[in-house]
Amino acid sequence: MTRLVVTAFWFSVVSMPCIGAMADDDASDPYALEAAKARVIRAAVARAQKSIVTVETIGGAQPIATGPQGVREEAFRLSDGPTTGVVVSADGLILTSSINFARNPTVITVTLEDGRQFVAELLGRDEIRRLALVRIVASDLFVAEWAPSEEILVGQYAIACGRGLSGDAPFASLGIVSAVGRRNGNAIQTDAKISPINYGGPLIDIDGRVMGICVPMAGSGGALAGAEWYDSGIGFAIYKEKFDLVAERLASGEVIEQGKIGIFLEEDESVIRDFFEKLLPTKEQAVRIRDVVPGTPASASGLRKGDRILALDGQPVGDVPEMQRRLSDRAAGEEITLTIKRRWRKFDVTLTLARSEEMGKIRPKKYTDVELPKEVDDVDDPDAETEHAEPTTQPADE
Amino acid sequence: MRLGYHVHGIAIVLGVTAAAPCAIAVAENIPVRSGPRIVAPNTVERAFDRAAPAIVKLYGRGIGREHGYGTGTLISADGQIVTVLTLLSSRNGARVVLADGRTMTAKLVRKDEYRQLALLKIEVENAPFVELVDSEGLAMADPVFAMGNWFKVAEGREPVSVNRGIFSMRMALNARRLAQDFSYGGDVLLFDAMTSNPGAPGGPLLDINGNCVGIVGRIVEASETNTRINYALPSEEIRAFAGGDVATRTTSQSADENVEKKKPFVGIRISRLGFRHVSPYVERVRPGSPADKAGVQADDLVLAVNDDRIRSAKDYRDAIGRLAPGDKARFILKRGQRVLTVTIEIEEKQ
Repeated sequence: MTRLVVTAFWFSVVSMPCIGAMADDDASDPYALEAAKARVIRAAVARAQKSIVTVETIGGAQPIATGPQGVREEAFRLSDGPTTGVVVSADGLILTSSINFARNPTVITVTLEDGRQFVAELLGRDEIRRLALVRIVASDLFVAEWAPSEEILVGQYAIACGRGLSGDAPFASLGIVSAVGRRNGNAIQTDAKISPINYGGPLIDIDGRVMGICVPMAGSGGALAGAEWYDSGIGFAIYKEKFDLVAERLASGEVIEQGKIGIFLEEDESVIRDFFEKLLPTKEQAVRIRDVVPGTPASASGLRKGDRILALDGQPVGDVPEMQRRLSDRAAGEEITLTIKRRWRKFDVTLTLARSEEMGKIRPKKYTDVELPKEVDDVDDPDAETEHAEPTTQPADE
Repeated sequence: MRLGYHVHGIAIVLGVTAAAPCAIAVAENIPVRSGPRIVAPNTVERAFDRAAPAIVKLYGRGIGREHGYGTGTLISADGQIVTVLTLLSSRNGARVVLADGRTMTAKLVRKDEYRQLALLKIEVENAPFVELVDSEGLAMADPVFAMGNWFKVAEGREPVSVNRGIFSMRMALNARRLAQDFSYGGDVLLFDAMTSNPGAPGGPLLDINGNCVGIVGRIVEASETNTRINYALPSEEIRAFAGGDVATRTTSQSADENVEKKKPFVGIRISRLGFRHVSPYVERVRPGSPADKAGVQADDLVLAVNDDRIRSAKDYRDAIGRLAPGDKARFILKRGQRVLTVTIEIEEKQ
């Protein structure tokens, strides 16, 4: 039997909660410690409060989801109550969540912390990160202070603030940072209660600095996806850097949505045909295209049923969920490069992701516009000649 | 301070047969540490120890074959239990399981349809009880502990569960229970501990000292968010109810109705297209009416009346109901892409 000796210096762990802010209090008194903690949280919220605004909408209707069962109402019923936003520029730009405009309201108003009310204009929406940018005509607004992303650590306190209940002060929920870099690096995960009360509101740190903007961000699909996770202890807030990346496009009125390729994927299960490949020292991981939808970027760039995708933007693709995850925050209009293995040939295909409304309408590029697939590896393939002779725009089914 | 822990690795053979000898070998090498507890100052533990003996589990009538269950809070040594008004607190008597495991049948002493509270009584002497203290002292971010038998996970003499949260604010809650409006119009305490679970209503909301600042209310959805909300009725209301003050919705309403009130006349007909959440667009303005004189036009959208935000035709009716002839009401309208303010002098309805 193994004898284990575990030694630890627990004393240092016990003394850790006594942070500098509580210097006045007797750290051995739990009640003084709790009182000090409450004071720190109150101070943090008070500091952030001036940049938190109430966003109200009037008119519009419940968003409708279209799924395999046809048109239906979303499972989550969006309310028409007040929502939350954060001032990001002194001249009237307010960052909030796109879910707050899922009803397509006719009128949007913004009420500042000092009570001044404005009619706001919805500029752009980012349906991937569920952000929205609205503008009011105002100046000298109090701009939120941001916490540098690299300073945000798992386990630190996180306070979600929201104006979704028409109280005198913002509603605050205390939690911790549960994970960083979630959702393809877009979001902080927190166990503070994230709900329609604070969608669009800030997740702040103990110093009152904004760590991220609270959004629903679970699953994919309709305009309300993720709202069913409200108050679950799994909440998300989008990093400043991720907003900065799209800020200009939002300000210019763009609607950023997830880009579509037009392929169905399946795991690349090995079959007899692959027997000889297995003899090779390294077998490449891939996912296989189960089907190509006509009139999509995939069909237009000549992808075919049965093609194996080895890599996305040069990075190997392990399996279908990984591929879907990496595509989940790529916007329509962006270019992606797929490394395709078709029989014995390997080549890169670059295509532009499409909006859902464009799907089915994309015409194949003229044959002359398409670069012939480049031979990457030197496998001797008797079919190679004929494959090359075919226009890449030919229908996928053989 | 340096602590040494000497733990003997023990081969766990439970359910492991000779067929899997390597599993045992692996288990032997996993360092097992009976981890030393971080003896952090623990206010929850003290609050829990203080309040737990006074929290009871309630069982009784439910819906259909499903048995009802809930939580009750003892507020006096002679066995007065406050809980929320459900089928459990019907006159048939709920079965009460005390913290020490004793089972009794409670009598319904009194109920309050407005606050949705019930007062039960069990025959007991020197019962442990929680102390009701003023909720006014709570400040935002103060820690609160909610106790209750959520999803009836505590059985027999097991103590009920406790959740920790922070207090956020007190405000009047505009809420619904299923299709019905939430009858209680006073302030509630809002916090971020999860209590919108079956079985939770009727449990206490404790402050840091383990005193009762409120009673967790029935599960409702806030109208402003369409989400379940975590709230408690403040101790002041509980004390008033336990002390015999029963506020009912009917009495408070009839008090209003008894006053002879002159009906206001504005002259706006709101569009009634559709039946759900109708945006308050002006369909028609009666010629010569106060609205007409102020320049209201058809197709204007009413945004606010006297700073009350108008979101639906119902909001509009309610806001007009609060006006009296002679009032000068400030209407905020949206016309095209403009927002304008008009003042309408309300006349008396003939």
